[in-house]
Parts: sequence; C-alpha cells; structure tokens
Amino acid sequence: MADASDIETADRLSRRRARILPVFAIIFLSQQAAFISQQVEGGTRTVDHVKTGAWLILSIVLLLALTTGGFWLWRKSVRDLLDDDVTRANRGAAMRTGFLATMMGGIALYLIALFEPVGGREVAHLLVTIGLAAAVLRFGLLERRAHKGG
Amino acid sequence: MADGLGNRLNALRAERGLTQAALAELVGVSRKTINTVENGVFVPSALLALRIARALGRPVEEVFFLEG
Repeated sequence: MADASDIETADRLSRRRARILPVFAIIFLSQQAAFISQQVEGGTRTVDHVKTGAWLILSIVLLLALTTGGFWLWRKSVRDLLDDDVTRANRGAAMRTGFLATMMGGIALYLIALFEPVGGREVAHLLVTIGLAAAVLRFGLLERRAHKGG
Repeated sequence: MADGLGNRLNALRAERGLTQAALAELVGVSRKTINTVENGVFVPSALLALRIARALGRPVEEVFFLEG
C-alpha cells in the first residue's frame, strides 16, 4: 500500500515526466533535420554514423519510457503509482495517435516512392520517428492535462 | 448513449476535510488519479469508483451519478 511519501514522490516524478516528454519529442524531431541533410550529402562520414547512433539510442529510450512509464530505479510502490489507471489510459490514447501517425506516414512514403526511389533504411527511420514522436508528444500533453487543476 | 459520469467528489472530500493527496493515500492511488476523476477528465473503472466511495464512507451512487 502506498504511503504519503510515495504519493508525494510519485506526484513530483509524474509532473516532471509530463514536463520533460514533450521537450524530448521536440528534440527527437529536430534531430531529423540533420538526418535529411545527411541523406542529401550521402552520409558516409563518421559524424553521420554518430548522429544515426544517437537517434537510435534516443528512439529506444523514448520507446521504453513510453511503454513502461520510466523511472526504473525507483521502488515498486512509487512505480505502481506512476503507472496508475490514468497513466495507462493516457498511454493507450498516445499509442493510438502514434499508430495513426505511422500509418499516415507509411501512406505518404508509399506515394512518394511512386515518383522518387526511397531506401528501406530511410523508410524505417522516418516511420519510427513519426510514430514515436507523435505518441510521446501526445502522452506528455495528456499527462500535463491530468495534472492541471489539482 | 449520451450519459456522462458526474461526481460529488470535491464536496464530499471537503466535508471530510481531506486534500486530494490525503484521499489518494486512503484509496491507494496517485493524487493525479483523484484530480482527473474529480475534474471529470477521467472516467474511473467500477473498481476504482467503489474504492473511492469506500474511502469516503459513502455508497458509490452518492459519490458518482449519471449526467444528462
């Protein structure tokens, strides 16, 4: 059973998560400007591989944060409060948004590929970015709304 | 079906002199959950509604009601 200190800690961490996630989503999207210019220039330099590695790591971290709620090093009673009914409902809505964004991105890329060849790696990169950024942004905004008025 | 779920959580909580955090502790949920239920942002499950009603010492139909 959660005590007052757990509830206070979970509240603080949950507010922090709600503030940080939309910022991460925007940073994640802004990284894509570098990806697009890299594709135009050929992208075979060491720095390009570092950028791709950074994108991959951030993608995995965001995916794990979205699906598990994050804060993996905290005690279970706090993590349970951070993954309560409201958070799970918000995550479900965010996943739906991410799915829809990925499907729309897939359709757009399919249409582009009719006129311009698009590589498999580029398609995967763009679909992961679109779906993940949309889901993380929506989750963060829903969590912010949940904290309002309290 | 256009019915929404209304609640008297704010009034009943005030009557008992409980903050959102204090009620959250009694129910065993986060303060955010109490806040969203109270503001009508989140429709609680039957289980959560019963737990909130029990924590307030009231029958569930006194805490929650159908709107519209």
